[in-house]
Amino acid sequence: MTSMELLPALLLVPLVAAALAFASRWAGAAAKPLVTLIHAVSMTVLLLGTLRLAGELLQVDQIAALHGWMQVDSLGAVFLGLVGVVGFLIGVYAIGYMNYELAHGAIDVGRLCNFYGIFNLFVFTMLLAVTANNVIMMWVAVEATTLGSAFLVGFYGKRSSLEAAWKYVVICPVGVAFGLYGVVLVYSNGVAVLPVVGDASSWTALLFNAQLLDPTLVKLAFVFVLIGFGTKAGLFPMHAWLPDAHSEAPSPISALLSAVLLNCAMLIVLRFGMIAAKAVGPSFPQTLLLIFGLLSVGVAAFFIVVQRDIKRLLAYSSVENMGLIAFAFGLGGPLGILAGLLHTINHSLVKALMFCGSGNILIKYGTPAMDSVKGILKVAPITGALFIAGALALGGVPPFNIFVSEFMVVTAGLAAGHPWLIGLCLLLLTVVLAGLVRMLAATVFGAAPDNVPRGDTGALTLLPMGVLLVAMLVMGIRAPAPVGQLLARAAAQVQTGSQPQIAQAPAPGTAVAPTPDATPAAR
Amino acid sequence: MNGPLIVNALAGLLIVTSLLVTSAGNATRAARLYAAQSLVLVLIFLTLARTHGAHELYWWSVSAFVTKVVLVPWIMLRTLATLPEKEDLPGVLSPAALIVVAALIVGLSCYAVSSVHLAVVDPLKPALGVSLGHFLLGLVCIVSQRNLLKQVFGFCLMENGSHLTLALLAWRAPELVEIGIATDAVFAVVIMVVLVRRIQRSMNTLDVRQLTALKG
Repeated sequence: MTSMELLPALLLVPLVAAALAFASRWAGAAAKPLVTLIHAVSMTVLLLGTLRLAGELLQVDQIAALHGWMQVDSLGAVFLGLVGVVGFLIGVYAIGYMNYELAHGAIDVGRLCNFYGIFNLFVFTMLLAVTANNVIMMWVAVEATTLGSAFLVGFYGKRSSLEAAWKYVVICPVGVAFGLYGVVLVYSNGVAVLPVVGDASSWTALLFNAQLLDPTLVKLAFVFVLIGFGTKAGLFPMHAWLPDAHSEAPSPISALLSAVLLNCAMLIVLRFGMIAAKAVGPSFPQTLLLIFGLLSVGVAAFFIVVQRDIKRLLAYSSVENMGLIAFAFGLGGPLGILAGLLHTINHSLVKALMFCGSGNILIKYGTPAMDSVKGILKVAPITGALFIAGALALGGVPPFNIFVSEFMVVTAGLAAGHPWLIGLCLLLLTVVLAGLVRMLAATVFGAAPDNVPRGDTGALTLLPMGVLLVAMLVMGIRAPAPVGQLLARAAAQVQTGSQPQIAQAPAPGTAVAPTPDATPAAR
Repeated sequence: MNGPLIVNALAGLLIVTSLLVTSAGNATRAARLYAAQSLVLVLIFLTLARTHGAHELYWWSVSAFVTKVVLVPWIMLRTLATLPEKEDLPGVLSPAALIVVAALIVGLSCYAVSSVHLAVVDPLKPALGVSLGHFLLGLVCIVSQRNLLKQVFGFCLMENGSHLTLALLAWRAPELVEIGIATDAVFAVVIMVVLVRRIQRSMNTLDVRQLTALKG
């Protein structure tokens, strides 16, 4: 199978798996093993497929399919790789977690089938969001991620989880509708000025011709896009849905929301940021990203310090980290972009580990409240140790990966001439570290409650966390050569793609021309 | 007949119907008014299709008719029939205050789009202003209503606003895009309505002020 065929086929896998998972409920006694097998196969194919595509993008600049409706470039490959790798690990964890929920009567087999069905549907929508090249389809895909995951947020049907789901389905579509306005402004401007009318919905074509776009419209559009997709990425002040949704969803879904979904929205902000930078110069999008990023870090830092609920704390940490990623992109320059991309990967790995850890804690203690969770190290030593490592990593402690990317953000900030902003950012990150250490002190150590049974939660819930820890250490000490190469290519793409001076030509060896969207030109 | 003139006049009617939906006494009436408003939207699409000579927009009218005039109101009315209790949950804004807010929003939106320079919409600037204003009025409906179902209507109004913007600015977009958007809209309403029913079953109310379990 060529990579051009693999790309759409890869999207079909979770879609078909979702349909089969929904249908498995009628398999009688075989429903549970059958649906688990379907899910496991889907996740494995997802992992292998994304790794192959990411690997090929080390050789070519772009893989496109379906007449240019879909494309993955080096930048997209970073995010596609995250969906694949982190999605796979969370998918494996979900099997262990949901088996426990089933065994303890929290759900029945029918709902297990629904869970895996919606899980795969959700993965499909995220794949669509990172591979869409049609700008309006990008919006459709992000909107679909909300609709695909709404029932996962309200999965437990409790008062609080239904409330979280309601906020999620109201705030996100409303927010993302602002994004649609931004997209439509760019598109309609493209229709007016692009040499080929049919190209106006193609992101590659819009970027290629960005200098033809009207500067006022592009600025307006970027504001709309930042508000719209920034809502979905969890940036302050549009983050209101995030702490509720992340804390009320089943833990594997919290992990998927935080470690994978937020990145998909950030990718689209970045893609429009590139168009804006090329059309009106980098300072406009960068300033906005700096402001929203730093505000997100600041507000989240203080919420982290006062949280009494582990999952809510982790949710605010997602706001903080997405803020830091936006901040890094806002600093710009090769270093800032690289730092932002590296931090995206690092945050995904760590946050997936932490939400999986919070899931294990919920299995043992039945609550994420810090007042009740004590002595994790005594109750579940492996979970406890992994949780400590994750929390320290999240706080930016070496030798873990987030230290490297945060250090790179600082370097990029100093290089870009923002010492005061960096000083402020470091202060806020110290507050975050304090909040995380406070959480560890309250939960990991101390005497365990008598009513909590001793013993860890089982291989399927621990193994993915172990793999994530190894990945965090590897990324913290020395990133593997292919990852480093891919990141460098992606950063270079963002940098050169958004520079007005350099006329872009498709690099030799690319799979397709950059503007393959083929609708009739003149009407 | 002058196409742009009709479009602009119908766009004005869109605002009136949107105010009626927002201030409707109960959700059943809101559902019927929403169907009427969507019919106005369909008429705008048909007029635009004639004006631009664009066959795409005829398809848009057909899909908007099916999804917005028939399907969404039907889903809402069917849901209302299954909800046991009719609560009286007045919104925050009185009809008079709503009219003032609407006038301000539409005025500001028209001012905002006056700076947009796109040849395709020059004669249709009032309609473009209305579409943006309509979108924001939907937002007002969401934040000013206590009834969860009325909030769903707020979302539908926003959606109609952005749909009109699309029809004015992006009618050349490939058909698949329109299909994606229409599907999204219907799915969003279905999912919201299912959630409303689950909330009603679990809390025995449709009052958004009772959703206070999660804070901070």
